Amino acid sequence: MSVPVFYSPHYLRYTFGPQHPFSPLRLEMLLDLLQALGQAPLYLEPPQATREEVRSVHLESFVRRVETASRGENLPDLAAYGLGTGDTPIFPDMDGATRWLVGGTLEAARTILRGTASEVLQLGGGLHHAQADLASGFCVYNDLSIAIRHLSQQGLRVAYIDIDVHHGDGVQWIHYDEAEVLTFSIHESGRYLFPGTGHLHEIGKAAGTGRKLNLPLEPFTEDASYLEVFQMTLEPALKWFRPDVLLVQCGADAHYQDPLAEILLTTQAYAQLFSLLRQYARAFAAGKVIYTLGGGYHLDATSRVWTMLYLSLQDQALPDHLPQPWLERWGTRLGHFLTHTLHDPPGSYSEIPRRLEIERRNRQVAQRMLETVQPYWH
Amino acid sequence: MLIKDVMHSPVLTVDETVSLEAAYAIMLQRNIRHIPVTREGQVVGMVTDRDIRLATSALARGGAKGLETPVREVMSHPVVSGDPLDPVEEAARVMRERKIGALPVMEGSQMVGIVTGIDLLEALLRLTGVHRPSGRLEVRLLDRPGELAGLTRLLAERGINIHSLLTYATDSDTLNAVVRVGTLDTHRLAAELRQSGFEVRWPPSKPLSHPEP
Repeated sequence: MSVPVFYSPHYLRYTFGPQHPFSPLRLEMLLDLLQALGQAPLYLEPPQATREEVRSVHLESFVRRVETASRGENLPDLAAYGLGTGDTPIFPDMDGATRWLVGGTLEAARTILRGTASEVLQLGGGLHHAQADLASGFCVYNDLSIAIRHLSQQGLRVAYIDIDVHHGDGVQWIHYDEAEVLTFSIHESGRYLFPGTGHLHEIGKAAGTGRKLNLPLEPFTEDASYLEVFQMTLEPALKWFRPDVLLVQCGADAHYQDPLAEILLTTQAYAQLFSLLRQYARAFAAGKVIYTLGGGYHLDATSRVWTMLYLSLQDQALPDHLPQPWLERWGTRLGHFLTHTLHDPPGSYSEIPRRLEIERRNRQVAQRMLETVQPYWH
Repeated sequence: MLIKDVMHSPVLTVDETVSLEAAYAIMLQRNIRHIPVTREGQVVGMVTDRDIRLATSALARGGAKGLETPVREVMSHPVVSGDPLDPVEEAARVMRERKIGALPVMEGSQMVGIVTGIDLLEALLRLTGVHRPSGRLEVRLLDRPGELAGLTRLLAERGINIHSLLTYATDSDTLNAVVRVGTLDTHRLAAELRQSGFEVRWPPSKPLSHPEP
């Protein structure tokens, strides 16, 4: 049985302008590549999320300001809500456009609740930086948290897994005191990268204590170290938490080509990550898992990583080479050559002199994180 | 940041006649290490958990004191104190120089609060911490007028908010500015700064933008 895919052409309306890295081109390239591979997804179009659904997570004062900004009206305090900033500039109907993305993630959650599928892919969303009353880091509304709230209100225990290179701060803070929501974010350390949080001692509060996990990695972390600490921490956490469903934010910006961060994953690591996530869903969550997209700002790398995600979920073989027409079409459009294989070419970046030290430090952080949260696991 | 912004009040005190045993019990119960000692309501000394443990130990000079000994016999005096309107770095300097762990805060003869080493660590975290989602930029500047202004002007022109700014001297000619900026895309910012001649220490430039054909 194929994995249902949610997508809508309305998703392309979530755009901050041609110079902005969070570009809808990423989706266009991805869909075009899947089509060129003869794998055009038969997607389902989700309904737009309603204002009430957005309000299940976001404050009235914030939603009202997004709506006002959407209409092109100005308010003096928009910047205090993260709106109209360099990262999250105002664009026409940003409220409506974001609600389309929220609708997809929410519909994915409803599909799990209905039991009609156990694995679901939302080809969009993953707006993990948005907070209850703050737009932040390219994110207006938090589709992930709105879906998590819907699932937990129906009595499901949700494990949220965030492989975006940036800390999943919005999701973490929104569910910080909730016992039924486990959050796990693996990211480049906040000492170096936006948003600056995600330290291992952020472990939740009140009933949520020990259920918010952070794995901040050293800059220039490579495949082997990343996969080592990912398995070392996530496996015991899921084994203990026994979620009813996983929600995975599949940001592709930990790839070595990404222009915004300093983690050095190759497509080989992503292939293993996607396979591990499916195994974990089967072993610890009765196979139930929702995948969303997220960050990923190198158009070439991002479309390859998400193509791998799509093909592996559909149990399709991964091609070696990418179709020539697609390479030519997008190479011309972007004005530079594209990688002509799905996987990264070998020897893609120069050797990292601090590799051993980076591996040692990551291992130590993983160990200390487990020691910090495990006393609360009972 | 002033002492009054980081101090704790009201302050728990003991009268000079209170026994070592009673004072120590209060410290354990309240999880504190320093208590100002008063005579007729005026602060006349400070007593620490260490003072009490040492005075009652076999290692005490002149032999161990009994648990019923009044605190006035082991307290330190005269008291080193601070003013609520002193800057917090003044409290840090005094505590560092005198090697003491707490500073009663006096307004004239009235004690209005207390600052401990932990409060100063808290202040350090507030000064260096992350309070809004932000990226980190580290730029080496020449130590001369207008350098920092050039940096902040470039940020202002791009509509980028500065959440916090720390500088420290690296050698006699240069200093490092660590700026927390309200943007996720610090790499683009760094590239623009480099083009304008700034020495950006973080984030690094990424040579690997496009693969070979």
